[in-house]
Amino acid sequence: MATKAPPKQKYNTVTAKIVGELRRIAGERNVIVDKDRMEAYSHDETNAEEYGHMPEVVVLPTTTEQVAEIVKLANREMVPITPRGAGSGLSGGAIPDHGGILLTVERMNRMVELDIDNMVIVVEAGMVTNDLAQMVQEKKLFFAGYPMSLQSCYIGGNIAENAGGGKAVKYGVTGRYIQGLELVTPTGEVLWLGGKISKDVSGYDLKQLVVGSEGTLGIVTKAIIKLIGLPSASSDLLVLFKTAREAIDVVPTIMAKGIVPTSIEFMDQLSVQTSCAYLNESLPYQEAGAMLLLEVDGTNADQVEADLIAIGDLCEQHGAMEVYVAEDTTTKERIWSVRRNIAEAFKVYSPIQSLEDIVVPIASIPDVIPELDRLSEKYGMKIPCYGHAGDGNLHATLVKDPEMDMKTWHENEAKCLRELYALTTRLGGKISGEHGIGIKRKNYLKEVANPIELKLMEGIKRAWDPNNIMNPGKLFDLS
Amino acid sequence: MNIVVPIKQVPETSNVKMDPEKGTMIRDGVESVINPLDLYAIEAALRLKEEHGGTVTAMTMGPPPAELAVRQAIAMGCEAGILVSDRKFGGSDTWATSYTLAQAIRKVGEVDLIITGERATDGDTAQVGPGIAAWLDLPLATYIAHITGVTTERITVERLVEEGYQLLDVPFPCVITVVKEIASPRLPTLAGKKRSKTQDIPLYNADNMELDPASLGLKGSPTKVVKIATPKVARGGKVVSAAGETGVMHAVDELMKFLDEKELV
Amino acid sequence: MSFVWTIAEQYEGQLRGVSFELLSRGRALADELGTKLASVVIGDGVDEKALEELIHRGADEVYSIQDPRLKDFVCETYSRILTDLVETYQPAIILAAATSSGRTLMPYVAIKVNTGLTADCTELAIEEGTGNLLQTRPAIGGNIMATIKTPDHRPQMSTVRPKSSRPLPRDTSRTGKIVEVPVEDRYIDDRVHVLGYRRDEEEFANIEEADFVVAGGKGMKKADNFVMLKKMADHFGGEVGASRDAVDRGWIAYPHQIGLSGKTISPRLYIGAGVSGSIQHLAGIKTSETIVAINSDPDAPILKVADFGIVGDLFQVVPELQRRLDEKNTEAT
Repeated sequence: MATKAPPKQKYNTVTAKIVGELRRIAGERNVIVDKDRMEAYSHDETNAEEYGHMPEVVVLPTTTEQVAEIVKLANREMVPITPRGAGSGLSGGAIPDHGGILLTVERMNRMVELDIDNMVIVVEAGMVTNDLAQMVQEKKLFFAGYPMSLQSCYIGGNIAENAGGGKAVKYGVTGRYIQGLELVTPTGEVLWLGGKISKDVSGYDLKQLVVGSEGTLGIVTKAIIKLIGLPSASSDLLVLFKTAREAIDVVPTIMAKGIVPTSIEFMDQLSVQTSCAYLNESLPYQEAGAMLLLEVDGTNADQVEADLIAIGDLCEQHGAMEVYVAEDTTTKERIWSVRRNIAEAFKVYSPIQSLEDIVVPIASIPDVIPELDRLSEKYGMKIPCYGHAGDGNLHATLVKDPEMDMKTWHENEAKCLRELYALTTRLGGKISGEHGIGIKRKNYLKEVANPIELKLMEGIKRAWDPNNIMNPGKLFDLS
Repeated sequence: MNIVVPIKQVPETSNVKMDPEKGTMIRDGVESVINPLDLYAIEAALRLKEEHGGTVTAMTMGPPPAELAVRQAIAMGCEAGILVSDRKFGGSDTWATSYTLAQAIRKVGEVDLIITGERATDGDTAQVGPGIAAWLDLPLATYIAHITGVTTERITVERLVEEGYQLLDVPFPCVITVVKEIASPRLPTLAGKKRSKTQDIPLYNADNMELDPASLGLKGSPTKVVKIATPKVARGGKVVSAAGETGVMHAVDELMKFLDEKELV
Repeated sequence: MSFVWTIAEQYEGQLRGVSFELLSRGRALADELGTKLASVVIGDGVDEKALEELIHRGADEVYSIQDPRLKDFVCETYSRILTDLVETYQPAIILAAATSSGRTLMPYVAIKVNTGLTADCTELAIEEGTGNLLQTRPAIGGNIMATIKTPDHRPQMSTVRPKSSRPLPRDTSRTGKIVEVPVEDRYIDDRVHVLGYRRDEEEFANIEEADFVVAGGKGMKKADNFVMLKKMADHFGGEVGASRDAVDRGWIAYPHQIGLSGKTISPRLYIGAGVSGSIQHLAGIKTSETIVAINSDPDAPILKVADFGIVGDLFQVVPELQRRLDEKNTEAT
């Protein structure tokens, strides 16, 4: 039975006086009240009809001081405030679902400092991650926490969601590369957490608490990002297996050899077939029950080649039907496009989907697959499963049958997700590995999370944000 | 059937960066790949071999690192590879290149079929394939989209032309250049990759080939590049948004007005 | 003084439009050099009137080599004829069209007559002092323009893309000489047999010579959606083009492909729907007179080269544009 959402907390509306204050703080041109222009800020990459909500005002500050003043104002006036990056999120984390002030960091996109001696770059939160990655690449440096996301995403959003992506097997997620943060707290104070340092046990690790907190504990305005040397060589393998089980079984064998691939991407039969058919790919994919896409990289081309061959051999020993190698850009692009086009291929079939990102212990991946088949059958929807096998992070995606009416879809989607999340939890997993809870999954989180853990989280929220004005209604509703 | 596939190593073009000051391509860090259009030639050759027997030899002319292109072709399934390389060949235009390659093919010996890609994506001339045919005085069929029949003596092909397909019946030995429609190229396999690592790639150079020294390289090339310039590409056109229902109407209004002014409607 | 030559192309006895385009290029060069312009017609069934048309459009002389055995383009045979003519008449410059036959014949002949050839020239000029032909052509996907000359070999040979120049206005007062060149048996190379032609209306498109091209890319989502582009192309009397993404996905056949691994086009109007504009695709459309782009991504590279861009959903914009075009048509009739 669906649990009723608790009544929304009483907030004040944004008055003309507050708008005037915002204009004074951020400048006339950096405040938007026009409905047409605000529409773009009412949704993210989740379904706008289902999750979208209009803000009362949008403000585009350009400095940390302005952000602090705006937050102070919101806190004083008891108006909810929602921080926003590029709006490419997949859980509704940046949607102003209580109205109020929407604060976008899009005009805070400067590089503050590139400090090569300390191997860090300091940037504002609105920096486009892709731009950041390219900027450091020109200096032969590498931001390894770069998610496999839309090209438009901002570093601030990556931090808020602790973004993952395709290279996490070797390089970890965004959080690993965040050495310091400038934060505006929910009461409008400004402080730095961490610094240009790589170790710190001087008290609780508040910096890591902020990473992945979905903008509920304050607004990150700047970040100190750790850089590493740019890998100069990389190669990929595309491996066809008869079954998902065979594909997954090979993963621990590779890791046990001491080889850490950059990526281990898994694609189940439905994903492979839909994507390959969409791409008109001539690979003999029809017989494959699953595919793995593996990448190795490094600074020594001979080592990369040796790793490539070693992994390929292991796959063949574990029953791979065929092992393809890609060492040049043309071939790499071709095999990665199979993986990258899965979502798009399904969108052609049906644009209404629920993109999930459950995470389970790697060895449990094969247990998920038959369950997905069962749920697919039971609820009349396709559920392709693909994702980051090396992390156990799976994009099991619920795809609406174009023939199904919306009412049935919503009911079935909820029931199916509930079963999927229960299964995930039973296997020792979590309901989101890299997209976050936001508003999309908060009711489910409540059902599967340990109540003590939830209570601790709520306690933290209360301590940081006594008036509950900072991105309220995300992760959980305060009871 | 003995097939030779001349291939070319080209800069990977999807990320070409130009130096805006000098107007030259930034080659630093630019990867070299097999000319993407040559992959279709390799695939066509491999399919003919699989169906009719024989061997496929990939041949490339270029500086020593171009050997990698030959190894990649072997990883796809070619039996043999030849590197045609000498400092004396540097700066060859299509005339000198086709001469040198034709002489290399003569050195290979008995060859039934030479298949090339339509053209290379860097030079974009489509002249080397026909040039090889002319030097060897072999029949030539360009822009081949389909191979419809093969006997021991002849091959029937469909040639993509302005009116559709010209159907040709060509005797061996001959030269064909193929377009993308011919076949989707296969991917290199691990087994092929391992074989290519250990394969011996003979080097054909000015010392072991029969060549007229006056026809080689920059000196032997009839055409000379006298100037390189960078064209301006941005047109600075108008961009309108079609957001929302009224947005679409408005945007199309503006477009109609624009087309009207240009007398295009 | 040696002549400037153009190679006129025929199909089934009809001269192709590009034959006249080449004359306007050739005329300018011949005038600059103070020499005559001749056009070479190899084929069958091209009548007197058509040959005269070449003179009306700029030629001083026409060499006509016609025979039923020359009906179809066969490289080896055409090459023997042209090689013989070149050796006899020693022209200074030969211009041919960058068509399937021009791009086959010219490189073959260039080897046979021992000279250089420059493909796809966009500009042709005469170097002051030397009288050498300066041939400018795009390379590396149109990222550079290279100027090339052939200083020590003759003739100087170039191919020029169809639609890259306009024919001269017809001048019926022009007179010239038509030379019938007899066909000798030794010209006929019977190694290659032409079996016929096949034309599949569905798959086929001659986008290189179209005045209007409506192209679709990855944003078209599936093959069925190309129907609406076909409708619009038909409205303009043009052809449907496509990006590599769309062709690779099997939504439309290869003859429609524009770009580095497809065709280079120069229509009066190019409309790209759901085409993001990769470097490779842009290389193929840069020479279009007017570029219109419809794309949902405001950062799509094609919008930077477009004369008019619409940021929006093509599935709304294209039908609305079609409706307005139809409306305008009804008004007009």
